[in-house]
Amino acid sequence: MSPTAAPLNALKSRLSSWRQDPGAAEDRQQVLRVEAEETLRVSFTVNGRPAEVDVAPRVTLSDALRDHLGLTGTHIGCEHGVCGMCTVIVDGDAARACLLLACQLEGAEIMTVEGLGKPDDLHPLQESFSRHHALQCGFCTPGMLMSAYDLLDHEPGVAQDELPEKMSGVLCRCTGYRHIMDAVSDVAQQNPEGVPAPRNCGTGQLLPRSSTGGPGSSAEDELQSRGPAEITLPSSQPTVTVSVEEHVQATPEEIWEVLQDTDRVARCLPGAELVEDFGNDRYLGRIRVALGPVKLSFVGDIHVTERDEQNRSIRAVAQAEDAAGGSVQAGVALAAKPHEGGSLLSADAELFMVGKIAQMGRSLAGDVSADMFAQFTQALDATARGEEPTQAQAPSAVAMFTRLMSQRAQSLVDRLRRR
Amino acid sequence: MKAAPFSYVRPTRLDDVVAELERAESTGGGKVIAGGQSLLPVLAMRLGRPKTLVDITRVRELAELQDDVGTVRIGAAVRQRRVERELARRVPLVGRALPWVGHREIRSRGTVCGSLAHADPSAELPAVALCLDATLTVVGPEGRRRVPAAEFFTGAMSTVLAPAELVTSVTVPTPRAGEGFGFEELARRHGDFALAGAAARVRRDGDAVTEAALVGFGVADRAQHRDLTVPMAQAVSQHGADEKALTTTLAEAVDQIAAEVVTASDAHASQQYRRRLMRVLGTRALVRAWTDSRRRTHA
Repeated sequence: MSPTAAPLNALKSRLSSWRQDPGAAEDRQQVLRVEAEETLRVSFTVNGRPAEVDVAPRVTLSDALRDHLGLTGTHIGCEHGVCGMCTVIVDGDAARACLLLACQLEGAEIMTVEGLGKPDDLHPLQESFSRHHALQCGFCTPGMLMSAYDLLDHEPGVAQDELPEKMSGVLCRCTGYRHIMDAVSDVAQQNPEGVPAPRNCGTGQLLPRSSTGGPGSSAEDELQSRGPAEITLPSSQPTVTVSVEEHVQATPEEIWEVLQDTDRVARCLPGAELVEDFGNDRYLGRIRVALGPVKLSFVGDIHVTERDEQNRSIRAVAQAEDAAGGSVQAGVALAAKPHEGGSLLSADAELFMVGKIAQMGRSLAGDVSADMFAQFTQALDATARGEEPTQAQAPSAVAMFTRLMSQRAQSLVDRLRRR
Repeated sequence: MKAAPFSYVRPTRLDDVVAELERAESTGGGKVIAGGQSLLPVLAMRLGRPKTLVDITRVRELAELQDDVGTVRIGAAVRQRRVERELARRVPLVGRALPWVGHREIRSRGTVCGSLAHADPSAELPAVALCLDATLTVVGPEGRRRVPAAEFFTGAMSTVLAPAELVTSVTVPTPRAGEGFGFEELARRHGDFALAGAAARVRRDGDAVTEAALVGFGVADRAQHRDLTVPMAQAVSQHGADEKALTTTLAEAVDQIAAEVVTASDAHASQQYRRRLMRVLGTRALVRAWTDSRRRTHA
């Protein structure tokens, strides 16, 4: 396809997306703007050949290479930068193609596994992989080859015992690492001056362009009103356990007073609010967690299973979901014991997480939970001593509060009846 | 997964970046993108859905790397691998920490300032910035302000940045006479997020300790900075060059800090193990920093 045969709408969107700065007349600077549903024409070089793609802003380099240019040698694994399958060379350095937006790459020089060699003229790395049988299923091979190329390009003569660490950016799920390291080590030793040049770059023809991979559509999530759900905690190991013990000024009696009022308790938890009181100590609640770009809104059930006035302790189970992030189930025990004029307030929680929050997890989920519980105990102390917690204001607590007041009396009666 | 749709804006002047961020804020929320190595996973998993991304990589002044007297200034669009190549010796603690940041393939696109602004609790660079008393330059609708690293981080992935503000550069002091550094980390796979890590800075005057700072990361909702001048000075005056005795005494001091930090148990490590890691890695980093300070009697 010739560049002049580009779809008219792409051309239009490109023209409309250039805006002249209203300021300084001589030094006119441009702001490129592409709306989510528009496409942008991006020109770069792939394997030494000029290429053009019309992409929506959200299209990654890996998708542009595979879907728009038909270069399916670059594999996609996790699509969030962990596995290294999609490793390519961008402007001389290895990069994860799934973590690059095609629209950011105007003018970039890209090399993929297709540029490394040809079936009848393999690159020495490819030959070495073949000789050492450095693959089983072959899925990681393009990533391994490109990462190895980058390594030997920048660190020729890299020591063999450093290879496992230096090659750790690409995972092989067949766990055939030993043969892969041997294959890379061979090429490193045979080429102490640097990695041999790629064998299939720069034959001067425009790469094909296809129009697949549109801008996509966005879906909004909504909360349905419903009755209480039964909560059963899994018997497996919790994803995160939190144990916070803090000496606070409020007495156990004062804390117990607050623990009796679930709405006030909820307001001690940053970002939390009660949505519905089902009676019988069952509630529907929402908690919003905002951590930089991460914005989650968990909606779910809470069931206070035990209230022990003698020991000033309560137990509760909860389960909640976020449309994108996944789900959390929790068992929580709160207790206040007399301690040096105040109380020793303890919060123990077992959290079971499923979905992306758990993946994203590693220690982050734990860190955030531990911090939230620490804030919670402080706010609980402040509330018990008659101060309103400042940080822990629930988003629409005031509106909820009036509605809940009428329901509160009923649930209190229920609670007393059960004892 | 694919990211949810968003608009893309690419200004070439800093003023325009701020104006675009303000505009984005009023139309559903925007986010700065430079290397995108932390942001794209968040978008791909749809844990965040900003309506607009403002690309700052074509703003020329943000791509500057300045080596001044006593400090280096790293612009917001400067990639980690460039700093690793060009400045590892000038700012040794940064140089020692960078190989731990993701993998080469990540550092080739990820920026130093981006890692600071993202403020992941287990990230290396925020800990380094705290340990070195680095200063961030922040620009927004109200103008320019300089924020010390100690005031910048407010929690997990949270900072003092207002919605239309961005970090434009970070200024990192170069070593002074008698300063030494240590950096330790443990991760499940090299390049993965740290289970726990520690950065240390010790300054000596002859055989006496005049300053000692320890930063633990990966253990709480943000990196934990502690001044350890007193226990470090005592330990050194007591044990001098006896590294083994020094280690034992320091471990007790670090252990006290570890016991205070609010940390959690998860599939990767229990609370006790994380605290133990803090003690072992923190002590090791301090001892390394002390040994390292000998090599730099003159700045």
